[in-house]
Amino acid sequence: MANYHPDTRLLNEYSSGTLALAQSVCVSLHLNYCEQCRRSHQRLQQLGSALFEDLAPQQVDDSLLRTVMGRLDDEPEPLSYKSTSSEEDNCPPLIQRLMKGDYSDLEWKKLSSQVRVSRLRTGDVDNEFALYHINAGASIPKHTHKGTELTLVLEGAFSDEEGRYEAGDFVIRDAEQQHTPTATQERDCICIGVLDAPIKFTDWKYRMVNPFLKLQAS
Amino acid sequence: MADTAGQNTGGRRDDEWSLCLQTVAQNQDREEFAKLFKHFAPLIKAFALNGSALAAAHAEELVQEVMIKVWQKATAYNPHKAAASTWIYTIARNCRTDMYRRLQKFDTPISADDIWPEEESDEMFVAVQQKRDATRIREMLLELPHEQCQILMKVYMEGKSHSEVAEELDLPLGTVKSRVRLAMKKLQLTAER
Repeated sequence: MANYHPDTRLLNEYSSGTLALAQSVCVSLHLNYCEQCRRSHQRLQQLGSALFEDLAPQQVDDSLLRTVMGRLDDEPEPLSYKSTSSEEDNCPPLIQRLMKGDYSDLEWKKLSSQVRVSRLRTGDVDNEFALYHINAGASIPKHTHKGTELTLVLEGAFSDEEGRYEAGDFVIRDAEQQHTPTATQERDCICIGVLDAPIKFTDWKYRMVNPFLKLQAS
Repeated sequence: MADTAGQNTGGRRDDEWSLCLQTVAQNQDREEFAKLFKHFAPLIKAFALNGSALAAAHAEELVQEVMIKVWQKATAYNPHKAAASTWIYTIARNCRTDMYRRLQKFDTPISADDIWPEEESDEMFVAVQQKRDATRIREMLLELPHEQCQILMKVYMEGKSHSEVAEELDLPLGTVKSRVRLAMKKLQLTAER
């Protein structure tokens, strides 16, 4: 059961299909954990459908109907990816799709001695999509954002100045909200972070790193 | 014309199209499919024309793609879970999103079907609840103030983000967000947050 959720804007943009790809993946993953947001999403699709039915119908030629009728026997496209239900079931299928193999096969870069990051390619060139691995009890140095940072906890838990977040929790931080995410003592924390602008460390010890934190969206 | 039937009574119209879609699924009935096409193709075309310039330029292609998917996936349609119109709308949304990314040469391993999982709940009361929701949403939409409805149209039909809508209407982003929140409250759509 998740306790922190996407806000109304994110849910509406997700359900309508206007949300950027990397952010949509993050919301979609949250839905795996959250019955309440799944219901909201279903209802928002019904809203979309109601608006769709109210559109002014546009003239379609009979020739198009004939074309479509002629193509009904075409080979269907292969079915979209479905989870192959691997034993590694704490790793959601959508993430498996973005990485080749297991968490341990990923290329991790050290952000500090206790924090590693692995950027995954989603095809979204405006948003960086990354997995963070924070050792038990360790912190990501205090930072602010120029844009929006979405975080979804996959394993373990972390806390910051405003709360404690466990698997499935969806955390939104906007520009200039400063925070220091710290993994809980019991175990390492793995989470997803989606950034639309680089983060900025505010602690003097880490400030020299800032010029190197260019957004790596791909 | 198919679209004169039961235009005012949402429930009856839904059931009619659901039956039609089920007949298509069970008997590969081409005549029934043609009826669906005549009703929904003009809406899908309108949906494409409302979208990005790219989608609009490929409106007829989108109509073809969506209607062929409807034919191919008809057996997966479950009338207890959604009205036929909702089911077709979600296919249209997925196809429009994928088409846009394809035309933009987005290189991504993820398709729209991965982003929006199909509802798997089989609980009967949920299904009943959903149908009731759909009818209620349609009724309440009529009572929504124009300025709220206009924004929902832009987000859902034109595929614009809240910031894009704010820019276009020359409103502060906060105003757009709060109008959407007000609309959600009136339509009783999302939990209060």
